[in-house]
Amino acid sequence: MGTLQLPRDPYNIIITGVGGQGNVMASRVLSGMLVNKGLTITIGETFGASQRGGSVMSHIRVSATGTWSPQIPKGKADVIVALEPAEALRVLAAYGHPGVIVLANTRPVYPVGVITGELSYPALEEIRASLEQLSSRLWLIEATDAAIRLGSPILANIVMIGALAGSGILPLTPEDFRAVMAETLSGEKLEVNRKAFAAGMDMTKP
Amino acid sequence: MTALLNAGDGSRPLLMGNEAIARGALEAGMNLAAGYPGTPSSEILENLAKVAEARNLYVEWSTNEKVAMEVAAAASFAGLRSLCVMKQNGVNVASDFLLHLAGSGTRGGMVLVTCDDPGALSSVNEGESRHFARMIELPLLEPGDFQEAKDMTAWAFALSEELGTLVMLRSVTRMSHASGIVRLGKLPDRLPRAEFKSDGPMLDPDDGPVLSMPVAHKHGLQQGRIKKAREIFEASPFNTYEGPDRPELLVITSSACSLYSREAVHALGLGDRVGILKMGTTWPLPPNLLKTHLSRADRILVVEEVLPFLEDNVKVIAAEAAGEVGIKTFFGKSDGTIPAMGELSPDLVMEALCRILDVPLPAADLQYGKMAREAASLKAPQRGLAFCPGCPHRASYWNIRTALKLDDREGFVCGDIGCYTLDVFPGGAGTLKTLHSMGSGTGVASGFGKLGPFGLDRPILAVCGDSTFFHAAMPALVNAIHHRSNITVIVLDNSGTAMTGFQSHPGLCVNAMGQEMPDVDIAKICAAMGAKVEIRDPFDLAETQSTINRLMEDAEGVKVLILKQKCALSPEKRGIRQYNVHVDEALCIGEDCGCNRLCTRIFRCPALVWDKEKRRARVDEVLCAGCGVCAQICPQSAIRKEVA
Amino acid sequence: MAREIRGQKELREQVQDAGLCTGCGACVHLCPYQTFYHDRTIVLNPCDIQAGRCYAFCPRTPVDLEETRGLFSREAELTPEIGPVRAFRIVRAADARLREQAQHGGTVSALLSLALSEGLIDTAIVAEGRERFLHSGTAVREPGEVWKRGGSRFIVSPTVAEFNRAAADGGAGKIGVVATPCQVFALARMRLKPKLDSGRNPIDRLGLVIGLFCGFALSWSKLTALLERSVGLDAIRGMDIPPGEGVLEVYLEGGKRTFPMEEIRDCMREACQYCIDTTAEYADISVGSARLGGDWEETRTWNQVVVRSEAGAALLDLAKERGILEFRDVPAGNLDMLKAAAAEKKRAALKNLAEKSGRAEDLIYLDARDRVLAALMSEEGK
Repeated sequence: MGTLQLPRDPYNIIITGVGGQGNVMASRVLSGMLVNKGLTITIGETFGASQRGGSVMSHIRVSATGTWSPQIPKGKADVIVALEPAEALRVLAAYGHPGVIVLANTRPVYPVGVITGELSYPALEEIRASLEQLSSRLWLIEATDAAIRLGSPILANIVMIGALAGSGILPLTPEDFRAVMAETLSGEKLEVNRKAFAAGMDMTKP
Repeated sequence: MTALLNAGDGSRPLLMGNEAIARGALEAGMNLAAGYPGTPSSEILENLAKVAEARNLYVEWSTNEKVAMEVAAAASFAGLRSLCVMKQNGVNVASDFLLHLAGSGTRGGMVLVTCDDPGALSSVNEGESRHFARMIELPLLEPGDFQEAKDMTAWAFALSEELGTLVMLRSVTRMSHASGIVRLGKLPDRLPRAEFKSDGPMLDPDDGPVLSMPVAHKHGLQQGRIKKAREIFEASPFNTYEGPDRPELLVITSSACSLYSREAVHALGLGDRVGILKMGTTWPLPPNLLKTHLSRADRILVVEEVLPFLEDNVKVIAAEAAGEVGIKTFFGKSDGTIPAMGELSPDLVMEALCRILDVPLPAADLQYGKMAREAASLKAPQRGLAFCPGCPHRASYWNIRTALKLDDREGFVCGDIGCYTLDVFPGGAGTLKTLHSMGSGTGVASGFGKLGPFGLDRPILAVCGDSTFFHAAMPALVNAIHHRSNITVIVLDNSGTAMTGFQSHPGLCVNAMGQEMPDVDIAKICAAMGAKVEIRDPFDLAETQSTINRLMEDAEGVKVLILKQKCALSPEKRGIRQYNVHVDEALCIGEDCGCNRLCTRIFRCPALVWDKEKRRARVDEVLCAGCGVCAQICPQSAIRKEVA
Repeated sequence: MAREIRGQKELREQVQDAGLCTGCGACVHLCPYQTFYHDRTIVLNPCDIQAGRCYAFCPRTPVDLEETRGLFSREAELTPEIGPVRAFRIVRAADARLREQAQHGGTVSALLSLALSEGLIDTAIVAEGRERFLHSGTAVREPGEVWKRGGSRFIVSPTVAEFNRAAADGGAGKIGVVATPCQVFALARMRLKPKLDSGRNPIDRLGLVIGLFCGFALSWSKLTALLERSVGLDAIRGMDIPPGEGVLEVYLEGGKRTFPMEEIRDCMREACQYCIDTTAEYADISVGSARLGGDWEETRTWNQVVVRSEAGAALLDLAKERGILEFRDVPAGNLDMLKAAAAEKKRAALKNLAEKSGRAEDLIYLDARDRVLAALMSEEGK
């Protein structure tokens, strides 16, 4: 097992999105890669009724020492991976701080209140302005578009994990990804996931 | 799944709390598991069902929690180890049997796992199951992390056999639905034989009949078991202490709150001032252990969810031992230091510690916090819960609402628990006017239907899901029929226990383990009971709506309408579109008189989007499930559907 | 002077909730928000359009009658009691079989069939009986279909809703409508082409309006309750209100049952007491049962007809030319009798409206300063 130096211990990652976007799957895959590096992971997940169009959030605590609370304390997220752009802002309000790193998908999922016209959804540029202001580093990733090109929008979660790996924040490689995915997938499904991960990596590689 | 079958080579996989509990049961050689689905408990049985064949288990989703307890108890009576799983309010349903089971005692190890939901993250209540342990006199365990979730579950079976009583193990959402690293133990390879000994003398605990009578005698035995449990718990490794020998403040905590407490003490750097006594055996409490720790600190903070259960019980011991341990100052729910509603978090514990010890909260960047909150409130529109794209319930409620409006007699709907509860949220049709426990829509409707003589002359409807129908709606329906309550019961049959993840139920021809089973026909049951029964497809809007109107206008007795259409997320439907749906922009008249955005403003499917620039509706091709219902409501026939 | 056009909310407050809704169907099938069920107009969902067609076309939202009168050419004599009159005739269908199927002289069926077969219109909207004495408008394209649907109705049918529906359907062509006074009034308001923010006015599809004389309509729920109580709905084969007798005759399997008008008036639709129109004043041609005096069996085979517009006159001329209708002399005083009855209904309605508002000068949807209404009210005062 490798010895990975964490920028902080515990290192706090939040993956956020909307019910149905594959938030839980993304957190499992990322955690699996980190576990294989010998780290102790605690994941706290908020799902359940929120699958029905609500916000979904996974708190991932990465540590070399042991188990942590499944809820990250307020203002203590180190990285936020948002599968939906407005959700990044929502999470920053509770868990952000000036040093936080943000990776956000650009594709909005409109809340029902926006669909009815009672609420309005900001233009991407407005979201970008706030995200830039509230993070130390920001990547906006066209993950859903990349996923649609690969044949299925649901792969956006894997594109985002690929983007996190490509950013170099944590030393995660395509081989790490493959090792985790191969536990449950094979053949064409494994291949398309591998491509999604690679597509994400390419978007953030320095 | 692979981890659940791991031979126990010392590997340390990442397991969800519910997986850890399932693994613990397997390591204990559990043979039979029964339960009723309910978030956050469902994954325990789901995971066991997946390995049922490999581990020679019998696993079932029972019709309700009481039946599940009875099924599991039978295995225990026959000397097998059995597990029963439910969410917090399921224990209320099972409690009648539970009371008698405590009286009769058990034989093979039997464990009840209840997963409570502090903060009601996926419940319509935040009820607590722990009080049943004290009320019914059963031993109670609360794991404090994922390793303990596995280890305690495994131990609970042995404890049950040692005591001869059911053992309760209580988890919470942040334990069941959280994941952590778990060191696995060995899986046993014994194959026990079921044998029910019942011909011995009446009072023989091993060979006699299994009864709660004679009551005084059996009650005495149960109290003896609790006394013995108390002694065992004095030395339990699941009760741990970390901190200085004489802490300024002693935190007594259990379950996920022990993780919050540890995090809070660590974050504030109070490790040399605050001690944490994490209790794993929370009923009966071991008095000597408590006295030892109480005597070392003057100030006590109890951190737990949701009600002051541990707090009250510790206070009893402190009062009884006041001469030995001295007078204590307690902080917790009673004095308001810790809220007695909602879930806790490391932040809430930090605030409590800072207040008690008069230390400042770590400075947050106030400017940043203000900016971030402003950005979120302006640019992250609230995300209300809504029916999924393609959800049959949206169509069903659309029909119900239309029928109620046409009927024009202020009819309303009594509801209960399932995805169809979402009708009360902004994404729904707003027809649900009462909402309580499983099956209670039909029962409450049965009562409303008898209020005519008192002047309540409105059409009464009830909705219940297919799984809910079997769980608790049937007795209510019998009641309504027998008492000639004039109501219309609509069974929203989406062919599965959808809200909790498609567990099987008696209406389906499959069981929890995927084996073929006879399906029990809801329509035939209702007809046999004496109701007038009709079956419709809710996606056929005109036909369904006119049927509802006709049934409501029929003033004689109970009408049952079964609206049958599979859930959009069901394994059979997911990812498969019946129709490709798009909006013909040339035909769409958007906000003009004649439409005024009916599809996006009123129908409210998340897959229909209002394009502000074009002033036309649009179908989001990523979200659309292809049900084609919106094409029926478009007044311009601008929403086009083609068979996919 | 044009009145302000408002939206669904105001329509609901001022008309439906105020008991003024005639059930004509003018606000239905323009959009998915209003519909008609049993004999009620139902708001299914809220609409926030500020100036809606539902409000603009409703015959019971505030109206300038002078503007409406301007729709008719000066050739017609404008009478205060029964509106524009070009000619007054007593006629009946020449075909006895048609008279047999119709309630009275079969004139409406004859004229409508003629208009269809001559291609003056492509589609005809007539009322059609449904189960339990409910009615709806239905669009027909063959003269034979018109014949089948003859006969008077005593319960409102949302005929204008069917016109709206047919007009939106590109294939309907020119549409002829058989309509009660309130329905004719709704169509007249469409013909005034009010200035709308959005939405198409279906009026360009209208080819012909045949008006029906109407004293009042009955409430479906009240009437069926009465009939169910007294004779049972299943036993009923037909109904009529013969002129001058003051009764409702209900024809049963083996005979008839007669209900006195006082009992029937209790079943009247509330909105009808605020109606000032007996003769469908803004139709091309209006038709009612004749009042000839003498033998009722003979009288009931004739209709009286008021010709109002050029189109109405042309149709009647054509019917005469083709021998579709039989004509007979108009007995002396017949027109005056009709005018007197119509004036009586107008005065009663004005009185009821003033009572409803509580102020003589507030006639709710009507303008007390209108010259014709003012004259009627001043006669009342004398």
